[in-house]
Amino acid sequence: MRLAAGRRERALDFALLLPVLALLAAFLLYPLLYGLDLSLSRTEGLEVTGSVGLAHYARALFGDAVFRQGLVNTVLLTAAAVVLQTGIGLGLAVLVSETRRGQAVFRIAFVAPFVLAPVAAGTVWKFLFAPFFGIVPSVGGALGLDLSTFAPLSDASLALWAVVVVCAWRFAGFSMVVYLAGMQSIPHELHEAAELEGIGPFARLRRITWPLLWPQTFALTLLTTIGTLRVFDLIWIMTGGGPGHATETAATYVYTTAFRSVDVGYAQAMAMILMVLIVALAFVEYRLLTPRVEAAAA
Amino acid sequence: MTTRTGIRPATIAVAVLAVIWIYPVIWTLVNAVRPTADLYRGPLDLPIPPALGNLADAWNRANLGGALLNSTYVASLTVAGALVVAIPAAFTLTRLRPPARAALFLLVLAPLIIPTEVLIVPLFAIYRNLGLINSLPGVALVNVVFSVSFATVILAGFFRRIPQDLIDAAQLDGAGRLALLRFIAVPLAHPGVVAVGAIVAVFAWNDFSGALVLLQRPGVFTAPLALTTFSTFYATDEGLRFAGLAITFLPPLVVFLLLQRRIVLALTAATAR
Repeated sequence: MRLAAGRRERALDFALLLPVLALLAAFLLYPLLYGLDLSLSRTEGLEVTGSVGLAHYARALFGDAVFRQGLVNTVLLTAAAVVLQTGIGLGLAVLVSETRRGQAVFRIAFVAPFVLAPVAAGTVWKFLFAPFFGIVPSVGGALGLDLSTFAPLSDASLALWAVVVVCAWRFAGFSMVVYLAGMQSIPHELHEAAELEGIGPFARLRRITWPLLWPQTFALTLLTTIGTLRVFDLIWIMTGGGPGHATETAATYVYTTAFRSVDVGYAQAMAMILMVLIVALAFVEYRLLTPRVEAAAA
Repeated sequence: MTTRTGIRPATIAVAVLAVIWIYPVIWTLVNAVRPTADLYRGPLDLPIPPALGNLADAWNRANLGGALLNSTYVASLTVAGALVVAIPAAFTLTRLRPPARAALFLLVLAPLIIPTEVLIVPLFAIYRNLGLINSLPGVALVNVVFSVSFATVILAGFFRRIPQDLIDAAQLDGAGRLALLRFIAVPLAHPGVVAVGAIVAVFAWNDFSGALVLLQRPGVFTAPLALTTFSTFYATDEGLRFAGLAITFLPPLVVFLLLQRRIVLALTAATAR
């Protein structure tokens, strides 16, 4: 009786997991294998017309300056996003935790950009970064400076950093709430004892708060890396990858190659390289940060 | 350290930063009801009386009304689909024993690390063969695939906090897995279920990459996609454009304002292992 019941339970467990497994097999694993096949094929539109082996991969890695610049931009953007989003998020969390009133209001103000459609947010920032009536010319004008021609999005040397600003604006609030939650689990006694010994607020931040927040820093670093390496919509709306290819990322280049140049097999090969890059970077971060996370938990 | 009025310097700093942070959002909402001519003439004046005509124009002339309906449809289908798949999966994962649990968790988490770009071309080809291009349920299905992982992780976190005693007691009374799920797990974890539903809805509402590739006919455009056509058709009418932005901004913003405590709790629970 018991044994039969156990077997029935196990069958039921499987049945409850089946929908998610079937969904992922049909719309994740199958497209992934399909994509692998495309990346190794000569394509005419969406039709496979022959095999090219690894030629697409070789072309992407060794023969395509735009893709290489796209990869460099993608990695730069990601590195800046990780540093800024965690840094600003931690700063905001420390400041907000110091306030007595209005924490809920502050939280709403900082997290709101996170829930907005990237397309809409990107369009708004295109206006804010516009020359003449954008935010910098307006503020400059109020201060008596003539910055009316300041247009970072059409300046190849500034465009990528303008995108970084918008990424930080969107996601710093998310980092902030994650850090705030982490800070709540740090015992007050630690800070009080340190304060009694005359240790100042910055030293306490560096020696108590920061080391104990490694689990949060770890999670945010991984999430930001995975999220920023694939960023598409924000850049697509703000610059379309330009000016020139100054803000071209791997993702925008994959999109234009597949749907504008209709070079599907080649686009898919570049997408596969991007995926390998994401998995590799996430793995490296995981290996580098895990010891610190475990030290914080101990 | 407090000033004479009792306000801490940190509070002042946070308040200033908060105003800077929310400024682009407020600016958009205000510009949505500002007559287009005033955008350049008096960009800092308050729009009194508000030019509600912008909103009506965006709704009718630019057909944002239809796009909002499409977005609502896609978001609802995505939430329903993601919850139907993720709730049983999350509950079962928390009930399984360690080796199987870890392996299955990794499997369910895999989509988080796979970028949309890798799947979008093959999905486009598959959808074309299935005749699902321009299908809103088709877009919802892709959104479910990309949201089911974090939905499962967050829900598993909520299910794990249900006391084991309660589950044991119900099992002694003869409750099977399905009864446990229906009468114990979901009712007790309902704040988590609501939060996950809200997060998935916002995600689906905001989706652009999937819709951009899979929806080609303007009649089925979702709100973010319809916004991009504004810039080509109505380049001169900025007031109209801001109205469109504001209308697209508002639903996620309202959902967030109503449920912000729960949403933040769910998001932070997911990052704390």
